[in-house]
This record gives sequence, structure tokens and C-alpha cells, in this order.
Amino acid sequence: MTLGNRVRFFFRKPHNVILTILAVSLAFLTLLPLLSLLKDTVVVHPSEIMSVKGSKMGDLTFFHWKKVFSDGETSMNLFYKPLWNTIRVSLWSCLIAIGLGGGVAWLVTRSDMRWKPFVSTVFIFPYIMPSWTLAMAWLNFFRNRLIGGAPGLFTALTGIETADWFAYGAFPIVVVLGLHYAPFAYILIGGILRNMDANLEEAAVILKAGRLKILSRITLPIVMPAVLSTFLLVFSSCMSAFAVPAFLGTPVRFQVLTTQLYRTLNGLNPGYGYIMALVMIVIGTGILMINQWIIGKRKSFTTVTGKSSNISFARLKAMRAPISIALVAFVSLIAILPLVTFAIESFIMAPGDYSLKNLTLQFWVGKGSEDIGGGEPGILLNKYIYLGLWNSVKLSVVVAFVAGTVGALTGYAVVKARGTKLASLVNNLAFFPYLMPSMAFAAIYLSMFAKRNLFIPSLYGSFALLVLVGAVKYLPFASRAGMNAMLQLSNEIEEAGLIVGIPWWKRMTRIIFPIQKSSFLSGYLLPFISCMRELALFVLLIVPANRVLTTMLFQYNEKGWNQYANAINLLIVLIVLVFNTVINKATGASIDKGIGG
Amino acid sequence: MKKQMIIVALLTATAMSVFAMGTKEGSSGAAPAEKAMTHDELVAAARAEGKVVVYSITSRIAGAATEFEKLYGIKVEASNLKDGELIEKVSKEVGGGIQGADFVICQDSGRVYGQLIAPGFLTNYVPPSMKSIIPAQYQNPLTFQLINKVFIFNSERSTAPVIKNVWELTEPKWKGLVQFKDPKAEGVNANFLTMITSPEWSAKLDKAYQDLYGKKLALTTKNAGYEWIKRFFQNGLVLGNSDTTISENIGIKGQPQTTMGLFVYSKKRFDAKKNLALEPMTEVAPFSGFIYPAFVMLTKNAAHPASARLFIEYLLTAEGFKPWSKDVGSYSSNPTIPVNDDDQPVSFWATRLVPEDPQYLFENRAAVEEFVNNITY
Repeated sequence: MTLGNRVRFFFRKPHNVILTILAVSLAFLTLLPLLSLLKDTVVVHPSEIMSVKGSKMGDLTFFHWKKVFSDGETSMNLFYKPLWNTIRVSLWSCLIAIGLGGGVAWLVTRSDMRWKPFVSTVFIFPYIMPSWTLAMAWLNFFRNRLIGGAPGLFTALTGIETADWFAYGAFPIVVVLGLHYAPFAYILIGGILRNMDANLEEAAVILKAGRLKILSRITLPIVMPAVLSTFLLVFSSCMSAFAVPAFLGTPVRFQVLTTQLYRTLNGLNPGYGYIMALVMIVIGTGILMINQWIIGKRKSFTTVTGKSSNISFARLKAMRAPISIALVAFVSLIAILPLVTFAIESFIMAPGDYSLKNLTLQFWVGKGSEDIGGGEPGILLNKYIYLGLWNSVKLSVVVAFVAGTVGALTGYAVVKARGTKLASLVNNLAFFPYLMPSMAFAAIYLSMFAKRNLFIPSLYGSFALLVLVGAVKYLPFASRAGMNAMLQLSNEIEEAGLIVGIPWWKRMTRIIFPIQKSSFLSGYLLPFISCMRELALFVLLIVPANRVLTTMLFQYNEKGWNQYANAINLLIVLIVLVFNTVINKATGASIDKGIGG
Repeated sequence: MKKQMIIVALLTATAMSVFAMGTKEGSSGAAPAEKAMTHDELVAAARAEGKVVVYSITSRIAGAATEFEKLYGIKVEASNLKDGELIEKVSKEVGGGIQGADFVICQDSGRVYGQLIAPGFLTNYVPPSMKSIIPAQYQNPLTFQLINKVFIFNSERSTAPVIKNVWELTEPKWKGLVQFKDPKAEGVNANFLTMITSPEWSAKLDKAYQDLYGKKLALTTKNAGYEWIKRFFQNGLVLGNSDTTISENIGIKGQPQTTMGLFVYSKKRFDAKKNLALEPMTEVAPFSGFIYPAFVMLTKNAAHPASARLFIEYLLTAEGFKPWSKDVGSYSSNPTIPVNDDDQPVSFWATRLVPEDPQYLFENRAAVEEFVNNITY
């Protein structure tokens, strides 16, 4: 066969065409920006002519590298301390998330606990809600007078003044991040526990092994690789968290890498920020490599999977009622109570005064008044809120459509061409954005697309840029969902269509997609929800014309207009929950399918 | 394998061309050569455009926008941004040839000069009707208003000033009771700190120390300005993210100890509605706070230049300035607009507050920021 023929033969298969296009465009969208970022760490930016003495814009300089890594006290405060804080906070949050998520997963899948449907539905809430939801709730409850001015609900109710370390800084950040990512760990570990072959445990029961022994010698070793992999994924998510440390850390000057990144990119020395983004990407990639290695090892374990029909539940005996009640109470506490505090906070006029006469509808339906906030009307009368809401929904729908569709195609093509080098290249490229902390990812898109590049005009400030960054960032979720859907689908089904001569796109839309509808739709749902509640990814790229609800909330919060912020937060949470429930009920798609598989 | 090779080659090629291209792609925005239009012509042109976009560091632009819309039927998209954010956005938008704001109200003079005016991203426009009214010193760049931040304390117990000298704030009795907005969060605050390290102000601080304690100041830093910053920050200074929050923290009634802060004087307007007790101090040696300008300027590539000009003119009239003039702490560059009855004129404040010097700021701000960063975090 000549080369030409070989190429023609290669491209006759639709999945090869898809793979080639994806490989080129993903390389362009993930690897090329990295080069651009690298360049940004060694040039003088407009605002840096103030600090890099005698330089012109665009000059080559190693000033940023020197300042960030080896300038004594400055580097210490600028980089090393925040780095250490990041690692510390992420580690502890991971432990909480995995302990809690894993524990609940075990109770739900393996024990005879009561009220499982309620627990498993509501326990996911904190993950569906924006990550700062719990952070804001924490402040609503525990802020103290010393640095937060008006004391929070807790102090108002009990009269006990909270300590600074309790109200702000590392401790609340760890707790809040841990709670936020516990559902994530629950979904991942729960998936493994559910699919685990119960025969081994049953064999142990028959051999009269004790419960504890079964747990420690059989269950744990089997789920261990999954737990480790969960640990790494949660760690990298915690590392890239921005909103939570921004809300809870600033009052006590507690900095992590993401908050430093935001400060430097918006301040006099964006060069510092680009270097920090690079560091975060390096850590993220390192984590991925370890994760791949662990998952690679797990393959040897998957030989024991294959669902057993009758899983015997562990009997909690006397503890059944107390554990069930405690868990229901706890789940309500972290998922429902925060919403109640937002509602309360959005209705009070003078801060810290929770008496009835201080209640007001000003921040919902009031007319603007210069002596409260900046004269902005209540959020239901505010045209900018509707603009932001419309932008949020528009952006999320478009991003979900693009990411979901590309993800489905990726899943299709990768599974079809399984085992080829091109397929694994595309698979890795599609997963790569997952490892990049959102803020770092946004930073590289900022550096790459803020100016004219090749044939692409400057995209800064455009809706297209937000769509692009969102779609690429959430592609991993969608491609995972797509791959899972395809793996469950036997090849013969498509081949049957092929034999009868049905064209490719018809096979996709009439056969493959309908059969695996709920799995594919999950690939659309997760990007949609993530996008609705995303802050870190957009906060650097947004311009006033295309602001979204989350960035508006962040702004209100920074300005100290807490009532507006609480009201908007409530709005976002309700929208996300309603969308999630409706889509879930109507199509059977659910977010756990996108992550856990 | 071959395919991968091709991909790699393609990638390298694209990457190379990115760097080769550089960034020289200034798009020429709409900036029609203007002849002196009459006011009516301007209104007609503005109505034809039908819309104007403004970025502003003051949130009260929203109120002015509503009135302007009512008056001329021109739609306003107003956005309130932080000062550094505004500078970054405008330099990226105008530099990238993107249509964003038509005009801006910006502050942080050192950065505005260096990053926005020097590269020509902003152009100055003084309405013809204002040329003879606004003092020459405020005309290039056109100052919209002056804003002051002063030492304000909780006056629930007594309205008598609680300090006479700024060095008192470095004493243990004020530990943890003073609040100030994070200089990283707002450029003008970093500017104030930078200004007091200047030879002029550090000499004044040096003298104030001697007047208060009757002995020479022992330096551990470069000069008295740096020394005061260091001791001020290390005395448990509480850094806030917003002057609004700080005003609430300071003004809220029923506090066990008297607190104070250095924040925008105009927040005193919250007193009644939010039940706060705030009182400014004006006789502190050697300064009672600082004062800085907010400029109003057109962007180079304004899409609605006529509407922007009309709005700028409107903002400089007594009516357009109402959202600001009805409270204390805002001073129009138009001297015919009287200051609020409860306030003092700029001439009163000028002798009591630290002003901005763009040149000095441009040269020294980075060093002071680094110094502050090191003693703060």
C-alpha cells in the first residue's frame, strides 16, 4: 500500500478523523498556552516598569524568577510560606474529605443504616453548591467582633465570642474544604464499594472471620488504590481552591498560592503570578503521574470485580438508630443550614442585629439608596443582576454543550481506537486540564489570548474566551462520561448499523447516543453545574460586559455588601439545585456518573 | 508514529510563529477628528449613538447613570471596579483593540500615568463649557473629584478626638484596635504609604515623633516614614478588604473598647441607616489622613465618544454630581459645586492630608509595596 492509500484508509474511519482533529486542537489549547505562560515569566509587563528599574515593556528579564525563588525574606513571604500553607491545608482537607466521604460511603453501601436515600441525596449537596457556600455560612455563623466587625449568628445566639483561629484562617479553611470535597470522595469510594465483588467478604464470613478482620484484611486492601487515587484528586482540587481561602483567610492575612496568584496578577507584579501558576501546574502534573501509576497498579485488582447479586449488609445492631439519626442530622447541618443563614443574612439591615425590627426587604426588592451599599437596588430589581444571571446561564449552557459534545466524541473515538498511541495521547490531553488549577489555567489563557496570536484575534473580554476556557477545563468530566458510556456498549450494535449502510452521524444520533442517553447526558450535566458555580476560572477573565453571577457575588463580598452577596448566593444555589434535580429526574443523568463511573 | 511526528512538527511551527509575531497589532478605534461641537450637536450625536459604557471606581456612578438615562434617553452600562482591576482591564482592552469602556473614572495616579496615559490608552477631554470654570491644575488629566480618607473613630462614648499624633497609633494602647484597608487591595492606600516615605513627609514624621516624646527617633529602617509604617502595621493593625466593612466594624455601637480606622470619609453617610457612630479627626500631627484625585477620561477606542463626552460634561455639573455631593467626603473639581454642608472645602483638607505625587509614586511604589508585604505576611 502506498503512503497516500494508507492515509486515505486511515481517515476513512470516522474515529480516526476525530482523534486527529482532537489531538491537534487539544495540543493547541493545552500545550501551546503553556509555552506562552513560560514566556510571560521572563518578560516585563506594563505594570512592572515600576519595579523593574530602567526597563521597557516586553524586555527580557529574570527579575520575577529571582524575586519569587531566591530573594530572602521577600521570596519567603511571597512564595514559600503560601506554598507551605497550601500543602498543609490541602493535606488536612483531604484527610477530612476521605474520612468523612469514605465513612458515609461504607455506611450507605455496606451497612443496614436507615434513611439511605435521604442521606445519599443530601450528602452530595455541598459538592453541587458553590464551594464558597460553606465558607460564607461559616462567616455568617462564627465571625467575631475583633476582625469581622458585627458578630455572627453564633455569638448573637449564645453570647460566646469565637476565637480568631476558629473564625478565620487555616482551621475553618480545612474544615470547609474537607466538607466540600467529602461528597467527591463519597462518590469515588462509593462507586468502588458498590462494584466490589462481595464473594470475598462472604467467603470470609463463612470462614467465621470477625467484622473488623474482614474490613482490615479484605475490604480496605481492595479499595485502597481507589482511596489513594481519590486522595490525589481531592488534594489537587483543594490546592486549586480559591474562593474558600479568599473568604476565610484574608482577615488574618493567611495566604495560599491561589490567593497570591490573584493578588499578584491584579497588582503590580503579574510576572510573579505567572511563575506561581507554573509551579501549580507542575505539582498538578506530578500528581497525575502518580495517580496514573496507582491506577495502573489497580488493574491487577480489577480482576476481582463483577457484581455479586446479594451483598450482605453489616449489621450496626444497637448503633443502628443512633448512627442513622446522627448522620441525618449532620447531613442536614452541612447541606441545609447554610441556606437558612443566607436567607436570614439577606433580610437584615444593620449588621449583627437579628431582632425582628431590623428585618428588611431592601436587599431583595428595595429601591437603591446611597446610604446603604452604593445606591444599588435590591437584587430582584437590579438590571445588572439579570444581566449576570443571563450571562451565567448562557455561558453554562454553551460550555456544557461544547464540552459535552466534544467529550462524547472523545469517548467514542478513544474507545474505538483503544490501544493505539493516538488514542492514549488524546485521552491524556483531554484529562490534562483537570490537573491545572482553575486559576492557573485562567492565567495562561489570559497570557495567551489577551493579544493577537496567529490567526486568532485578541479574545480578551469576549464571550468566546469564557466558553473556550470553560469547555476545555470541563472536558475531562465529559470525556470520562463519554468513555464510560462507550465502554458499556458492545461494538456489534454499531457494526449492525454499518452493515446496513447507515452513515456515521446517523449511527451516532440514532443508535449510540439514544442507547446510552443518561450516561452521555451526565457528561453535559457536570460541566453545566460546574460552570454555574465557577469563580476561580472566570474571575481573571471576566470584563464588566460579560460578568457572571459568581464574579458579581465575589465583588459584592469584597466591597462588604454582605446582604447582597448572601442574596445572590442563595439565588445561585437554588438555580443549581433546581437544574440538577430537574435534569436528573427527567433524563436519569447524574453528576456521580461523570466523576465516579 | 508518523502522525505523531507530523503533529509535533505542526506544534513547533505554530509555537514558533506565536513568538515571532509579537504583539504589534494596534487596532485603530473610532476617534473621529472632533471639531468643537455645540452642545446641541453633541446631544444629537450622543442620541444617535444611543448608548455609553463606563468603568468607574466609585459605585455611586449607578445613581448618576439612572439620572443621565432619564435626562437624555441614552442607555448607560456602568460598572464599578477596583482601581487596580480597572487599570488592568483598560490596558488589556484598549491595548488589544477590544471595545470596552467609552470612558473611565479611575484613580491611583502613579499607575494611571504610567500604564494608561503614557501609552496613550486614555485621552483627555475637557468639555468646552468647563474650560473656564475648572481650575487649570485639574484640567490635564481632567480630575473628576477628590476623595479623602481620614482617621475616624467610634464616637459612642465621646466625640473628643482620641489621638493628637500619628505616633500614638504605634503604642500598645491601640494594639489591635485600628483598621485600614489592605494596601494590596487598593492602590491609593499603597500610594499613601509610599508618599509618607518621601523626604518631605518622613521629615515631618520625624519631627512629630520628637514633639510627642521629646527624644530622637531611633531608626531600624530607611527613614521615619518606613519606621512609622513598620510600627503601625506591627501594632496589630487589622487589614480589611473594604472600606464599607471597616466603617461598620468601627462605627457599630456597644463595643467594649474605642476603635478607630483610616478610611473613606464619605462612609460617614452610613451613620443614620446603619446605626453607626463615626467621627473624623482633623487635627492629628503631622497628617489626619490622605487625599487623592479620581480622573475622568475617554478611552482611545471609545465606541460611543459623543455620549461619553456628554456624560462627562453632565458629571461635572451640580446636578450630575448630586449622588456624590449629597454626602460628605467628595469634592468636585468644579469649584461652583458647593461642598456638603457638614463638610469642609478642599482648601481646609489640603493642609491636613497627604496628597499624591504621581512621579514619586511611579518611582517608589514598588519598593514600598515589597516592604509592606514583608512586614505584613
